[in-house]
Amino acid sequence: MTHFYRALLLVLLCCMTLTVPVHAQQRNESPLISGSFRNMTFQDFVQRLETRLPYKFYYEQAVADSLMVNLEVEGEPLNQALSQILKGTDYKFAITEQRQVFITRQNPIMTNLPSNFFKDDEEAKRNSQMATPAYLPQQQDNKKRIQSEIKLYEIGTPNGSKTGKANLAGTLRDANTGEPIIGAHIYIESPSIGTASDQYGYYSLSLPVGRHELNIRAVGLKNTKRQVILHSDGKLDIEVEEDIRSLKEVLVEAEKDRNVTGLQMGMERLDIRTIRQVPTAFGETDILRVVLTLPGVKSVGEGATGMNVRGGSTDQNLILLNDATIYNPSHLFGFFSAFNPDVIKSVELYKSAVPARYGGRLSSVLEVTSREGNKKQFSGTGGIGLLTSRLTLEGPIIKDKTSILVGGRSTYSDWLLKKIPNKSFSNSEASFYDVNTHISHEINEKNSLYLTGYMSKDRFKLAADTLYRFQNQNASLKWKHNFHNKLYSVVTGTYSHYGYDISNEENAANASKMDFGISQTGMQIDFNYFPDSKHTLDFGASAIRYEVNPGSLVPNHAESLIKADKLQQEKAIESALYLSDRYDINQNLSISAGLRYSFFTALGQRDVLQYAPGMPKTLNTIVDTVSYGSGKSIATYHGPEFRLSARYVLSGNSSVKVSFNRLRQYVHMLSNTATMAPTDTWKLSDSNIKPQVGDQVAVGYYRNLRANTIEFSAEAYYKWMQDFLDYRSGASIIMNHHIETDVANAEGKAYGVELMLKKATGKLNGWVSYTYSRTMVRLDDPAVSEVINRGEWYASNFDKPHDLTMISNYRFSQRFSTSVNFTYSTGRPITLPLGKYYDGASHRILYSDRNQYRIPDYYRVDLALNIEGNHKIAKLAHSSWTVAVYNLTGRKNPYSVYFKSQKGQIRGYKMSIFGHPIPTITYNFKF
Amino acid sequence: MKIRNWKNPIVWLVMLLVSGCVEPYFPEVLESPSSFLVVNGFLNANGRTSIQLLRSQNLNDTEAPPAEESATVVVESESGERYGLHEIGYGTYMHPNLQLRTDMKYRLYIRTKSGQEYASDYVEVKPAPAIDNVHWKAVNGEVKVYVNTHDANNNTHYYKWEYEQTWQFRTAFYSVFRYENEEVVQRTPSDSPIYICWKSENSTTIEVGSSVKLNEDRINDYNILSIPYNSEKVSMKNSILIKQYALTREAFEYLELLKKNTESIGTLFDPLPSQLTSNIRSLSNPNETVIGYMTATTMSTKRIFVDSRDLPRDWRLYNPTCELDTVMNGMLKERFEGGSLVPVDAIYGMSPDPIGYTAALRPCVDCTMQGTNVKPAFWE
Repeated sequence: MTHFYRALLLVLLCCMTLTVPVHAQQRNESPLISGSFRNMTFQDFVQRLETRLPYKFYYEQAVADSLMVNLEVEGEPLNQALSQILKGTDYKFAITEQRQVFITRQNPIMTNLPSNFFKDDEEAKRNSQMATPAYLPQQQDNKKRIQSEIKLYEIGTPNGSKTGKANLAGTLRDANTGEPIIGAHIYIESPSIGTASDQYGYYSLSLPVGRHELNIRAVGLKNTKRQVILHSDGKLDIEVEEDIRSLKEVLVEAEKDRNVTGLQMGMERLDIRTIRQVPTAFGETDILRVVLTLPGVKSVGEGATGMNVRGGSTDQNLILLNDATIYNPSHLFGFFSAFNPDVIKSVELYKSAVPARYGGRLSSVLEVTSREGNKKQFSGTGGIGLLTSRLTLEGPIIKDKTSILVGGRSTYSDWLLKKIPNKSFSNSEASFYDVNTHISHEINEKNSLYLTGYMSKDRFKLAADTLYRFQNQNASLKWKHNFHNKLYSVVTGTYSHYGYDISNEENAANASKMDFGISQTGMQIDFNYFPDSKHTLDFGASAIRYEVNPGSLVPNHAESLIKADKLQQEKAIESALYLSDRYDINQNLSISAGLRYSFFTALGQRDVLQYAPGMPKTLNTIVDTVSYGSGKSIATYHGPEFRLSARYVLSGNSSVKVSFNRLRQYVHMLSNTATMAPTDTWKLSDSNIKPQVGDQVAVGYYRNLRANTIEFSAEAYYKWMQDFLDYRSGASIIMNHHIETDVANAEGKAYGVELMLKKATGKLNGWVSYTYSRTMVRLDDPAVSEVINRGEWYASNFDKPHDLTMISNYRFSQRFSTSVNFTYSTGRPITLPLGKYYDGASHRILYSDRNQYRIPDYYRVDLALNIEGNHKIAKLAHSSWTVAVYNLTGRKNPYSVYFKSQKGQIRGYKMSIFGHPIPTITYNFKF
Repeated sequence: MKIRNWKNPIVWLVMLLVSGCVEPYFPEVLESPSSFLVVNGFLNANGRTSIQLLRSQNLNDTEAPPAEESATVVVESESGERYGLHEIGYGTYMHPNLQLRTDMKYRLYIRTKSGQEYASDYVEVKPAPAIDNVHWKAVNGEVKVYVNTHDANNNTHYYKWEYEQTWQFRTAFYSVFRYENEEVVQRTPSDSPIYICWKSENSTTIEVGSSVKLNEDRINDYNILSIPYNSEKVSMKNSILIKQYALTREAFEYLELLKKNTESIGTLFDPLPSQLTSNIRSLSNPNETVIGYMTATTMSTKRIFVDSRDLPRDWRLYNPTCELDTVMNGMLKERFEGGSLVPVDAIYGMSPDPIGYTAALRPCVDCTMQGTNVKPAFWE
């Protein structure tokens, strides 16, 4: 405890000094010193003084290491001599009446108590309260942390050089688990140089040679710092402790000033801790649902996990799980996302200024990174909810070198469905499971290997006769190699497979099974090069091979009359080269310029229909069929993709950023519904289906208020999309041998403004965002397809102009917090029935122009309470309860509005999926 | 939704969680910008052809659809032959016995009273093959009726069906007496029967099927209709007349789209409604919307009967129920006058003459209130 009191006293004293004149103590009588002290270390200097004077010096070792004394004095008072030596540094000194000399950093030790110290005045009271630490973690850790914070790390070999720059690189790791820390901010304050750790926890900084204090900040981790003396290039691995007060550590606290000073725009990074605080419908943390609360991200309706980013369609998002593409990120009709929250570390979403490293989708990149597993000890996490349960185990195989993480999740919704006394429910089945694995191995200091795997399976049966099944299988293997401090490479091999089948056994004569599958195998090499503090270069190459089975239909019963049918397999290769440079021109201006050049070749073996040129592709305009042999090129597309962005800092707390980017997309999702249903198929570009091209310009203004605790951002964008697929009326998607006759290359545009105000810290924290956006489609070329809405621009299916979202958390105490969410958005467009007519048997409906009207506005409030167990570090398991109510007001938000003719009458219906308040309770544990 | 297990808390929980809600919805009145021409019917290549011309109306319009009257309606062949149809009332134009050649294409030409001209595309004549059989099965509490057909020539591929149901039903009470001239008298065989009657109904749904995905041009057990076990329609005996037509591929696609748009069942995976393109166009204004799709075909029919005695024994079939009242002798005039209450049977006290009568409301006794007591000619 003595340590505690000493620390307390020190803090107290430091606070006190703020209220008194700094040089008060120097009025003391000083002894006189004489002599020549040349090129002497401070230590030697002190030793010499102590032998001559009856004074005792107290100082940190750091002072001794960094100070050189060059002094020629004759009868100078000690205080003046010390002033001279310490001039230009931030060290202060104090001389007590007991003839003690204290050298301290920043604030001098006060040698006398202020006159009002023992009076019970408000000032003193406030100060003493401030000085009492709100929470003290275990003494041992604290000591260790403090030790590494004051310890001076010497980097490189001293070679006498006092000027110039040297490179400092290393890996940031969690002190408890040994996992790398992504997105932590590492910086020195003067001059202001900083960087963020990449997805391997790696950082590389070019700093002036000399002494620095490195500050490290990251989400959910304790702020820490390191004292370094940099002589030449070197390495410094830093272990950062987790802040167990996860309730206190709220939302995105890291990179407080990234909003303003970061070059990246249109990018959101969410940590799993943030994600956990947002209430969801079934009590399970859902990554995609939280992503949907971000400005510019929308979905067509509840229960749909497919997302529309800045007016793009649901297939225009590149969803990566550890670099492998996920084609269907949802479970159970989209009520759950495919990502197990216990396994996920962080999520990054790029809405604009997509880095050149990524390509292949038009609207966004969603990069989901899973955790590597604890490298120090075995541990586990899990949760028990109403519909799902999950368990994750992790631990070292070789301590500090190799770790393994295995996570699984499953639902038991099946038996619940059976309980429902309604035929269409009780005859239904619905179940899913998913498994994640992650093995990471550090071969040596320069080489690391990462192997990840993911598998999910869904199975559901609606009203007893049709069984749907779908599955994702993904694997990735990464090899990271550090050539030296400034250059590292990552070689990645990935495999992704998505497939589904639908079997129908209602009638023996029609019993059939239809299946679809897409596989991609990819190889990628990325280099990161940090030549100096002004440039960061990324370059690399990638190649993906696609194989698609667009559909096959087979009879499923001996008596079935179904004719076996199989669509021709599609194959293609997509490859790309990229180079990008981030150039910090000066303190205020940074630019990043990138170029990605992508190539796509559709390959045989296939028979390809040829259509009469200049005519819409229909069965009547087929002129020929051309056969391509195996591996022969059917069609080739290629083009440059520009990625440019720039940031200009207007003042310390505000900046302006602009970006332009172009993306090309060669695979397309075909769906005749507005949601991402498992029956959606993917189609590769070929001679009849052109790739989609999208351009986006964005401008943003960013300002941090109140010492970076409040972030404000405003972004505006305009987007053009060419040749994205829209459907002709009554298109048939499944088992279509000539899909090009049912789709058409449409032209799209989207524009909008996104405003966001975020308070990242404090008892009350969260964000409010407002988005105004439009997204329009036009099909006006009769040579391409039928003309929709007379060739005018019409609102796309997911055009929702106004969107207001508020996510807020309030922490009552360390163990008890509450979250309230509020969402409002304009209803999505629909095609409404304008009139009715009698067709001789029944009344039928006459529809309006496509997407001419809108469904009622969407509005929802959610509430959640988090109750944490006690915060003792040493206990068997940490647990927490989450009690949440989804849709607190029970508003019946229409998911879909439809009209149908029943018994000769036309009736309109609106269907809401979560039309009541839905209470849930989840128990989470960690051991 | 019927909840049998009220006490099970899990049932409540699950209902709360999973049950989506479907509510009636009617947006702000959407005034139809104009009233479009609707053309119903088909060109019967072998028999009576009737074409009905109507106008579309607003969704909430409860009036009968307005008819397009006094128009000129002509069936024209590619080679110029013309067959005029004559108006028989309510926008219906008829040719008593049209005979069209299968090697020729025909179109429908319309000139309205106001002089607007419309014409369909020339369409091929596709004769409908005979229906092989119609049969029913009792499955999961429903009587399911299936159609089987085939075309040995592999020419038809696209089929459309309509049906006409006629069923026998009875009232809750068999009345032995009638009230006439302030007196209750026994009914005699010469009185018109009011206990058992017949009702008829036409199909209202679009029933189309295709054999293109099969190796042969055959339709196997197309489920044309399903009747729940507790429907009045299967309480005694039901007769179903199936009518089969052949379609062109374009007509089939039009009808499928129409069916999707207007009969879809509101699931999560509904396709978006789409615009329908008719094969009938205005000759003066090609952008004008015209509703309907003209086809030329023949009709083949088949009738079956579903007798309630053949249904599974454990089905609790529809049984009409009504309340029975008593009217004592002094009250006869007061209660029976006007005819809304009808005597059912006599009540006897100690004397041989009735002291009063049991009685019920007329619909509980008189089936002619809902149907006809004339036995249809085809009834077995």
